[in-house]
Amino acid sequence: MKPAPFDYVVAASPREAVQYLADVEDASAKIIAGGQSLMPLLALRLARPSLLVDINRIPGLETIERISETTIRIGTLVRHRMLCAQTNSPLLHEAARWIGHSAIRTRGTIGGSLAHADPAAELPIVAVATGMVIEVMGPSTQRTVDAQDFFIGTLENSLADDEMIVSVISPLPERWGFAEYTRRHGDFGLVTVAAAEVQGEVKIAVGGVGSKPVRMLESEGLVNDSVTLSGQLIDQAARAAAASVEPNGDFHGSARYRIGLVEELVRRSLRQLGSGQADSEVDWS
Amino acid sequence: MTEITGVDPKGNESVGRAVQRKEDYRFLIGRGHYVSDLRLPGTRHVAFLRSPLAHAKINSIDISSALEADFVEAIFTGESDPFKSVSLIARSALPSYIETAQPILAWDKVRFSGEPIAAVVATDRYLAEDGVELIEVEYERLPTNVSAWSTPAEPLHKEALDNVLLERRFQSGDVEDALAGAEVVIERELISNRQGGNPLECRAGVALFEPGDGTLQFWSGTQVPHLVRNALAELMGMSEAKIRVIAPDVGGGFGTKAALYPEDVAICMIARLMPGTPIKWVEDRAEHLLSATHARDHRYLVTAGFSSDGTLLALKADVTCNVGAYSVYPWTAGIEPLMAGGLLSGPYRLENYDCMVRAVATNSSPSGPYRGVARPASVFAMEAIMDEAARRLGMSTIDIRRKNFIGPQDIPYKMPTRLVDDSGHYERCLDKALELFDLDQFLEEQQRRRGTNEPPIGFGVACYNELTGLGRAASAGPRMPFRTGHDACTVKVNPDGTVTVFSGVTSQGQGLETTVAQIVADGIGVDYDDVQVRIGNTDESLWGFGAFSSRQAVIGGGAAQLSALVVRDKVIRLASELLEIDINDLILRDGKIWVAGEVEPRLSLAEIARVAYLESNRLPDGMEPGLEATRFYDPIRGAFAAGVQIGSLEVDVSTGEIRILKWVCVEDAGRVINPAIVDGQIAGAIAQGIGGAMYEHLIYDGDGNLSTGTLMDYLIPTSGEIPEMIIGHLQFPADNPLGVRGVGEGGTLGPNAVIAGAVADALGILVDQLPVTEGAVWEGLQ
Ligand SMILES: Cc1cc2nc3c(=O)[nH]c(=O)nc-3n(C[C@H](O)[C@H](O)[C@H](O)COP(=O)(O)OP(=O)(O)OC[C@H]3O[C@@H](n4cnc5c(N)ncnc54)[C@H](O)[C@@H]3O)c2cc1C
Repeated sequence: MKPAPFDYVVAASPREAVQYLADVEDASAKIIAGGQSLMPLLALRLARPSLLVDINRIPGLETIERISETTIRIGTLVRHRMLCAQTNSPLLHEAARWIGHSAIRTRGTIGGSLAHADPAAELPIVAVATGMVIEVMGPSTQRTVDAQDFFIGTLENSLADDEMIVSVISPLPERWGFAEYTRRHGDFGLVTVAAAEVQGEVKIAVGGVGSKPVRMLESEGLVNDSVTLSGQLIDQAARAAAASVEPNGDFHGSARYRIGLVEELVRRSLRQLGSGQADSEVDWS
Repeated sequence: MTEITGVDPKGNESVGRAVQRKEDYRFLIGRGHYVSDLRLPGTRHVAFLRSPLAHAKINSIDISSALEADFVEAIFTGESDPFKSVSLIARSALPSYIETAQPILAWDKVRFSGEPIAAVVATDRYLAEDGVELIEVEYERLPTNVSAWSTPAEPLHKEALDNVLLERRFQSGDVEDALAGAEVVIERELISNRQGGNPLECRAGVALFEPGDGTLQFWSGTQVPHLVRNALAELMGMSEAKIRVIAPDVGGGFGTKAALYPEDVAICMIARLMPGTPIKWVEDRAEHLLSATHARDHRYLVTAGFSSDGTLLALKADVTCNVGAYSVYPWTAGIEPLMAGGLLSGPYRLENYDCMVRAVATNSSPSGPYRGVARPASVFAMEAIMDEAARRLGMSTIDIRRKNFIGPQDIPYKMPTRLVDDSGHYERCLDKALELFDLDQFLEEQQRRRGTNEPPIGFGVACYNELTGLGRAASAGPRMPFRTGHDACTVKVNPDGTVTVFSGVTSQGQGLETTVAQIVADGIGVDYDDVQVRIGNTDESLWGFGAFSSRQAVIGGGAAQLSALVVRDKVIRLASELLEIDINDLILRDGKIWVAGEVEPRLSLAEIARVAYLESNRLPDGMEPGLEATRFYDPIRGAFAAGVQIGSLEVDVSTGEIRILKWVCVEDAGRVINPAIVDGQIAGAIAQGIGGAMYEHLIYDGDGNLSTGTLMDYLIPTSGEIPEMIIGHLQFPADNPLGVRGVGEGGTLGPNAVIAGAVADALGILVDQLPVTEGAVWEGLQ
């Protein structure tokens, strides 16, 4: 369990980092941020980059700034524990608390989590539910990608080989709900649900049931078409969600069980959204 | 609780107190010395090429391109000697037993995914792994079997065409007759889950062959250094005098490190082929999950008959244990089935017993000793039967157990398998556990919740007897060519009056340096701080079988006590001569000699030791210089430790989530040497048991690939999953020098049964299969 040989450089700026990516033949360079997903892949020799570009010492990427009444910009190197500590977005605070253990949250970054595109990871799910916009840089380009379009499949994103995430624009939802079921404290969720109302529109994203966060379009329609979020409507939306997913089963839980969890967790997240929890005080525990 | 008198009740006794552990300071400041910490100059590192296939013929192994790589220093395969001519063969004289030859490096055939095929030597582990990738093996796939109760696709060993390596029937009384007269007959099929020991420190070894004097030194994280030396001498054709095995600090073992593995032998052989070069291999977690021993992959088909008052009349069982690809060295494939059949009826009186046990080879990592050996599974099976009989008879699960317990009046109780129970204190354990658990309050709350939307709660109970400290008679069952009944200990008072002990015990974190020091301190009559204990080095201690079977407090402790008493005796005799006072009037306490009734001591131990070593002119006629003794101890039989666990949980019916509410354990450890260590052993064992009951599961797919190959999928509980525990003690002394009973494993015996019983109690769902996951609970509710 030791990585195959690789070269290593430290980038001083995003521009330099993407230039390193572009300069390597056969596109086998990789950025390393917190290393919490990449290092295990290297150790198991499932990833064999010829060059690692370390972005940890690039200044300015580890900040969260309020850019408007309803949005914040989060630098790609913002660690999960900083998301836990910030108070701008109670939803991000709540979701980040569920990521792994404190050692992992201390190193892991939001950009790394999004780029890694694990379909069960919390931040990609929140990104889709809130409609985050990902700010991307290449050697000669700068562009933005909607979270919805960013995730392509399991561990697959829409970045070109020489592009990197610089930051994300994260809308602050008016109301939200978050529910996750893990087998042990700190595990990836078997099923994770984020529901967020942004500018009056509710989106529901579910993780653990496909190769990327999956939107519950029918449930969203039910919720958005109705003026009040009654218990009955929540049940209906939860059932609609369960009916729409086709998860794979494995030894952690059968497909049937995961569908059952989708129903229950969509119910819980909508109840939380309906109760207006987002305005309540942040739980620091 | 029984009062226990020590050797010198007036003294400043160490036994019975939670003295500060001798080991802790060095661990806490980061100065522990594990095999990985050993950095000898010129060390070379080994990485093994492991089979990616579960069952295949090896047509060819091509190492040519690996040999061309300049970073590869050497490559060894099983095709050439010394590897080819040696294999690990666990021996037993049981009639139906079939031996298997486990290669050091597989060369003609691989039998499980992860089996070592080649070893690459390089200056560091990274390069060694790079070298492994350059080896090309041509395999011819063979049909694979990973389940022990499905029809074998292809024999693993030509000596056992049906893959059965051992079958044994335990029989007593007339089961059919008794079943015919039973009021209720219960039939169940119960399946337990495959697990591994997963100590924090995986396996590790450094081997160095010294060309100057032809000696081999082997630093190994083994639990059994003397056995390893004995085996290495035989396997490598060396004299034992030229082999030294050293087990330094070891970070957990749980039985996993009580086997001798092909990798151990391989690195010793490589060391001999590369004289003067230290050869190091440190197992990583992926290797551990894949190729260290597994355990508890069992199926129990049980039929039990009860009379209308709940008396267990007969027990009939067919037990199949998946023993993996080879009969584990040196314990044999019998280790789990024989234990399962030998102790299935647990703490219950039984006359009519008919139990067939078998060991079936499959394409999986060999099964070996793992904390609790088989009994976490067999207790699960037995307690499931008791619970169901209670339900069918309309009795409480508590009453039916009371009805059947072996009691103090039955002792010594000969079990239907001829093991002799010397405890009988099960009901006392149960009473105390119920008191600590507060069953009445629980039942009230359970009743209250029944009418509400709150999560339902249930409680489960497990009663068990752990056979600990097996002497030569009790360890005879597997009929191996050795009996693990004894250990030796050397106690020596140094010329300055301090004490050095060379004990045959080993420690993987259980604090044996502390425990042995406490025993010796009291045995001689010196301060605990003045006793140093050295363990784990075959050149220092005379003999010890090592750590397994909850044996060390009983056997190693017994040897320490006996040796200490001999030394004490000599000190007193010498003091008597020097003082010209009758030995019966002298007391040795706190390292000083007192005359009975006097307030000031007459002599210090240091003064006496000085005479013993430096002033032979003052020794009485016929007395040899020195203050030292070596004694063996063998309890002949064993000491049964009674135990009861009761736990309650609530179930979130919408997710199947199980939340443990309360956990109580009461065990009879006999005389407790160090209460903190004993509680730690019990708590750790329960935590491991809960891991097995709810999380830990090694799963192979149909092709024999391990699906749970990392700790992302093989789930070990964290402190977040383990409840607070309430631990109670009974102290009925056993019949051995210290009155102790082993407590190393008992805690693992309860949780399977407790969790299964509690889920059944909460939801009315019968649990037939482990682990009890939220998914299984949820499915059961649909
Ligand atoms: C034991 C354990 C438990 C965990 N549990 C969870 C969990 O419950 N939930 C969860 O969500 N995660 C979990 N993680 C993963 C963790 O959250 C990671 O931190 C995260 O997935 C990746 O972030 P990172 O900064 O560590 O990225 P790295 O590991 O450094 O990189 C991951 C990938 O992202 C790429 N990358 C990184 N930064 C950029 C960038 N700016 N632009 C483009 N590509 C980039 C890298 O090239 C690589 O491919 C766990 C990890 C561990 C070790």
